[in-house]
Amino acid sequence: MKDIAAEMYAMLNETKIAFTVPIFGGIPIPSSVAVTWGIMAVIVLFCIIFVRGFKLMPGRMQTAIEMFVGWIYDFFTGILGEKGRKYIPYLGTVLIYIGCANIVGLFGLIPPTKDLNVTAGLAIMSIVLVEAAGIRSKGTRGWLRSFKKPMAVMVPFNILEIVIKPLSLCMRLFGNVLGAFVIMELIKAVVPAIVPLPFSFYFDIFDGLLQAYVFVFLTSLYISEAMDED
Amino acid sequence: MGALIAVGAGIAALTGIGAGIGIGIATSKAAEAIARQPEAKGEINKTLLLGCALAEATAIYGFVIAIMIILFLG
Repeated sequence: MKDIAAEMYAMLNETKIAFTVPIFGGIPIPSSVAVTWGIMAVIVLFCIIFVRGFKLMPGRMQTAIEMFVGWIYDFFTGILGEKGRKYIPYLGTVLIYIGCANIVGLFGLIPPTKDLNVTAGLAIMSIVLVEAAGIRSKGTRGWLRSFKKPMAVMVPFNILEIVIKPLSLCMRLFGNVLGAFVIMELIKAVVPAIVPLPFSFYFDIFDGLLQAYVFVFLTSLYISEAMDED
Repeated sequence: MGALIAVGAGIAALTGIGAGIGIGIATSKAAEAIARQPEAKGEINKTLLLGCALAEATAIYGFVIAIMIILFLG
């Protein structure tokens, strides 16, 4: 039992510190941060390369990009409605980031979303956005009044929801990525060749993208709920 | 002690039963709904995906707790 625990702990903490910045006596950089910088660099590079030279008559590449961005806008507009359009750039960014972060495991890197701190940060950003959207659309008094809906007895539960929503968002993403990672490691330990391939397709690509989709879907659902006037 | 901890982690992983039943029911109903109204396929798919994600979360919580039991008690 002890050695299983030790092995799991090692898996959880695997290369937790990627390197140390040698100033001020050394600032440790976790690998999740380093991988996130890599993802950021790749996405920014993609943006610069593909967006350069857009024409009025779109070529094949431009059509594909426009379809992708159009799909993101349609998807979120369907949930948030017209007045929620200003939140779409943030949600789209989070969708692309989590999607890339989850499939980065294919390239032998450790997905940043396997770090609880990353998912917790994303979830806190989401709940701040949700409450800010509520305040912006209803005003501070309307927002405070929304806590005692549908009746005054519900106040403690509505306040609890502020904690529960990000907690469940954070744990869902973290648990899914960690679960996929642990299962993949176990499969690789038993059969190192061929067999992990279909599982990798499911766990790394399908499940990773699905979780990114679910994360932003739930966030936008919460936003539309917070903006709802009734 | 070690065996007890293993049993505890196993019990925590039983949350998968609920998630499995829930997702199964949701999918069967979605298949029925699509058969009845094929034009509402997109809407049904979206709802099904949301429901599955929420149902699956319980299994994930069980998994996280099982890992925590092994890590912190083992």
